[in-house]
Amino acid sequence: MEYLSTIGILIAIYVILAASYNLVIGYGGLATVAHPIFFAIGAYVSGLLAIHTSLPPPVTVLVGAACAMLASLLLAASALRVSGDYLLIASLGFQLGLLQLIKNLEFTGGPGGLGGIPATIVGPARTPAYLVIAALLAIATVFAIRALVRGPYGRAITAMRDEELAFTALGRNAMSMKLVIFAIGCGIAGVAGGLYAFYFQYVSPDQFEVLQSAAILTMVVLGGMGTAFGPVVGAVLLLAIPQAITFLQLPPSIMAPMQGIIFTVLVLVFLFLRPAGIMGHAGRRRRTAGLT
Amino acid sequence: MPLTGAQAGYGNDFVTGMRMAVKDVNDAGGIAGRPVELVTLDTQAEPQLGINAVNRLIGVEKMPMVLVAWSSVVKAVAPICNREKVLEINTGANSPEIATLGDYVYTAFPLAEVDITKLAQYVYQTLGKRRAAVLYINNDTGIDAAKLYRDTFTKAGGQVVAFEAYDPKATEFTGMLLKTRAANPDVVHLHGLTADTPQVIAQMRQLGLTQQITTYSAGYNPKLIEQCGPAAEGLIVTSLAPGVQENANVAPFLERWKKEVGRVPNGLPYVQYQYDMIPLAKALYDHVDKKGQPATGDTLRDALVEIRTFDLPMTGKMVIDGHRVNKPVYLLTVKKGAFVPLATLS
Repeated sequence: MEYLSTIGILIAIYVILAASYNLVIGYGGLATVAHPIFFAIGAYVSGLLAIHTSLPPPVTVLVGAACAMLASLLLAASALRVSGDYLLIASLGFQLGLLQLIKNLEFTGGPGGLGGIPATIVGPARTPAYLVIAALLAIATVFAIRALVRGPYGRAITAMRDEELAFTALGRNAMSMKLVIFAIGCGIAGVAGGLYAFYFQYVSPDQFEVLQSAAILTMVVLGGMGTAFGPVVGAVLLLAIPQAITFLQLPPSIMAPMQGIIFTVLVLVFLFLRPAGIMGHAGRRRRTAGLT
Repeated sequence: MPLTGAQAGYGNDFVTGMRMAVKDVNDAGGIAGRPVELVTLDTQAEPQLGINAVNRLIGVEKMPMVLVAWSSVVKAVAPICNREKVLEINTGANSPEIATLGDYVYTAFPLAEVDITKLAQYVYQTLGKRRAAVLYINNDTGIDAAKLYRDTFTKAGGQVVAFEAYDPKATEFTGMLLKTRAANPDVVHLHGLTADTPQVIAQMRQLGLTQQITTYSAGYNPKLIEQCGPAAEGLIVTSLAPGVQENANVAPFLERWKKEVGRVPNGLPYVQYQYDMIPLAKALYDHVDKKGQPATGDTLRDALVEIRTFDLPMTGKMVIDGHRVNKPVYLLTVKKGAFVPLATLS
């Protein structure tokens, strides 16, 4: 049970991450890869606060999320003026730069990572409690984003994504809208980071490298970019499949290479059969129906 | 253990070493008649995958004891083992921090204090070097060890004239090496990983730095000599396990590798430790059995502390000293394209 619950918590955290990333890239059309760094900021800030202060954990998580939001505004304010490919490059630079900072500062634990984060909840109820908290947060995130994009503001967001020129011609401010979406998405990633730090009690800078960006992007694309439940499906599949493969009872000499191959093949098959993502078609029909 | 990814070369050989030991223990009757089974999961040397693997070993397979290597994985799974009261034994990572990870985290592998302090003292006292340069990889392996080397060398009376870090992904070291050349050291300690160490040595020699180079067990690798050629001549490396000359069990072990795998293992001293983990586990289980206790994280941990001194087939005598172990350090040097023993520091 402990094992399944832990995988459940990890899935919930990644649902939060993928859903918030989907808001930024799928709905907002903002091509950024720096999402893991806001995850990292949330994790490090709340972890450090938990170690050095006696603030209650929810407060430290909120402070972590606020810091992630602030950092995202710093990046957005400069990079969103130039959109598209430039944002991609700027976000990559931002991610790598901040990671270097984390790796070279003493108080973040350097490249060895930050350990010794207090357990907060102790006893046998710990994992179930975290599972409930993480699942509730994940559900809240998915439905909050769904409510946001289905409302009038959501239609404005997709209009801005699909036709920015026409959008500005109608007198709307695209820049402020981008800033808001970016800040919300990254703030939510910060919450996921705080949750991660408290449950796993150890974070290391390697966990937030570009590979992590690729993993979250795969979740969003595989599940269906710009759909409410796509990131949920993507996160569940991408985290559950590798775990399920280890239960196939293969000898380790075959298991090790097979794990990578089975996983890659599955991802390719899904992308080939459902190019718009697993939830892609249903989502698109609904959106078109809503517009007409 | 990492069975895929960048560290798989070592990880797979570690597991093969353990598997050979499992076979030997089972051939000799197992643990009180019960066969030993090794459950292996891939960590890719990544903290998150390590956490998943250990959770599964504890939650699904109900293991009272886990064997873990690679510093970041050892650190990442420590909170779980402490919480679930499962004995975690580090089998190959050497970050000094491992000694302070908690009540259920022990090491069977000597941490960096052991070989680095002894090496730095040897370089000062026996080799008579006074000006050292320390080049290290900017990760937890490099940083901690480089500081230890610097502090020991300075305390002995020497001077560290260059203290330079390089990025783990770097492939080009000219800037750092030219700076080192300008500092004019009489010995260079290089603390990297198996992948970058040969590159740094080769570039050093190309840039005309002819100083004595020392490194630690990552340099004790036949591939390094292949890659560096004559540039490796004179290199001093450490080994934490006795070699063919010091331990009669090592030569047959190597023969067995050549026969069963067709080559010698990557990082022989490390693999010797992996082999010994199985006899070590057997000793713990036997001790618990003898006392009529069930094998849990608590009883196995008590067994480890109570037995304290183990006589292991590949690495010799091991004494558990709190959350550390102390072992002799074997120095080797490269002479005519082969590693030859130089000294034993106990």
